[in-house]
Amino acid sequence: MISGARPSPIAWLVAPAALLFVLFFVLPFGVMAMMSFYSGNPVTNPNAFATTRHYERFIFDTAGIYHEALWSTLSIGLVTTVVSLLIGYPLAHWMARMQSRLGHALVLMAVIAPMLTGIVVRTFAWMTILQDKGVINTLLIQWGLTDKPLPLMYNEFGTVVALVHIYVPFMVLTLTGVIGRIDERLEQAARSLGAGRVRAFVEVTLPLSLPGILAGSLLVFALSISAYVTPSLMGGTNVLTLPMLIAQQVGTSFNPNFAGALGVILLLVSLAIVVAYNRILARLSGEQGMA
Amino acid sequence: MSAPMSAPMSVVANKRPFDVGHAAYLALNALLLTFLLAPIAIVLVFALNPTPYISFPPVGVSLRWFEKFFAGTEFMNALWLSLWVASVVLVLSILIGGACALALARGNLPGRAFLTAFFMSPLMLPAILTGLALFQAYLLSGIGRPVWGLILAHTLVAVPYVIRTTLAVLHNFDRRIEEAAAVLGASPARVFFEVTLPLIRPGVFAGGVFAFIVSFDQFPVSLFLVVPKGETLPVVLFNYMKFDLDGAIAAASMVSILLALSVVLVLERLIGLKAYVKL
Repeated sequence: MISGARPSPIAWLVAPAALLFVLFFVLPFGVMAMMSFYSGNPVTNPNAFATTRHYERFIFDTAGIYHEALWSTLSIGLVTTVVSLLIGYPLAHWMARMQSRLGHALVLMAVIAPMLTGIVVRTFAWMTILQDKGVINTLLIQWGLTDKPLPLMYNEFGTVVALVHIYVPFMVLTLTGVIGRIDERLEQAARSLGAGRVRAFVEVTLPLSLPGILAGSLLVFALSISAYVTPSLMGGTNVLTLPMLIAQQVGTSFNPNFAGALGVILLLVSLAIVVAYNRILARLSGEQGMA
Repeated sequence: MSAPMSAPMSVVANKRPFDVGHAAYLALNALLLTFLLAPIAIVLVFALNPTPYISFPPVGVSLRWFEKFFAGTEFMNALWLSLWVASVVLVLSILIGGACALALARGNLPGRAFLTAFFMSPLMLPAILTGLALFQAYLLSGIGRPVWGLILAHTLVAVPYVIRTTLAVLHNFDRRIEEAAAVLGASPARVFFEVTLPLIRPGVFAGGVFAFIVSFDQFPVSLFLVVPKGETLPVVLFNYMKFDLDGAIAAASMVSILLALSVVLVLERLIGLKAYVKL
């Protein structure tokens, strides 16, 4: 690509996508932001006025649930991210260093297959495993390891387990790309100079894969703070996250304006993450270009 | 028994008699793979287990839950609506996403990196917010919640997948093929239709299959955009699961999973799964 070259006629092919994105993406988000500053629907209700009361409601938290919901959203996101990293890294490393093409394809398939299974279905699977009469509790009671079922579900624990399962493939795919690009000979050189396998990994491969760790973590964090299905089914009434609050405001309270304000707050958090993610990816591809 | 087991499975080049560290590494990864795949296998067990509630261990094999699923009008209406929406989304996103990827890769557009990031952004922003924003926009403009509104919403989140797979193919193929065709006298239109289009077709189709799955399994974007009697399958399943946890859900899940798996096989045939490692 020569910069400064004039757009060719092919450039017009961007038009349908641009139209779709402006009308059904940019504009709606604008509408949502606007709605969050109104008392009602400004089109149908002539008495609707501009106000910041929805944000005040969140900030001053008179109901005493909004700050807690934000906190629990972020903490579930953080724990999910850390566990996904711990689980995703070994798998990604294994895949990236696998010599056999068949083995690589099989593991890749195993990682992608859950991704192609809907969120609702995968959450259902975890409900059957973790509920009181689920697989794990039945086995534990049968083996006499516990008298009454362990509380594995309808709490943050169950929520995190299912979220990790749902989002760990994103971590694996991001990390595999980055680890695959690290020259294996660097680690071999460290080992031939006397470093043990663990030390060679910790001092060579791990630091070099740091950008991938960051990118994958940001991706999983962004995905898990916006999850709705899993926290509402696995968390039951004991977990309340921002997306669940939003759905409540739309569905049961029918307050789309307050839902809009909550949406803007979640959007700002996500945007900050997206910007960081893109910075890291840009730096990654820059390094690749120089290599 | 005494035959060396490491030869066919070994991933390290240097042979060792028995390597504890490496065995632990492989065992850990086998465990992690089990974590990924076991839940899906368990759904199959419950889909075939005839007890009225989810219970373990299974007591037998029956197809009663599949019968309940396929006989339920609510399930069937939802399944057909989901298939119909996903099919339209497949076609729309192939056309819109394929064209967009071509423009991004070959159009000499100014601000190409920004545009690419922009077209990928529905994947990065919370899908539930995309649903909420569209719900607000439909509410304000008074168009209500028509099926075409749902279809275009799904298309919006499906198009980035088509753009991504098409761009991956466009980056991988040798531009000199196009240049050679042009040098040999083919008009730009002919180069496009006879060289470029056939070459990117696998990428576009693979993206389309992804688009189909994204729409078929879509929940967060659909949540606020469906009407009570016109819910897609994931929404119906979600509402059902809030009150009832029986084998019908497992059967419905199996139907979705089998659909997804057959799609994976189609993908593998079309383009090879490697293209998806590039996120």
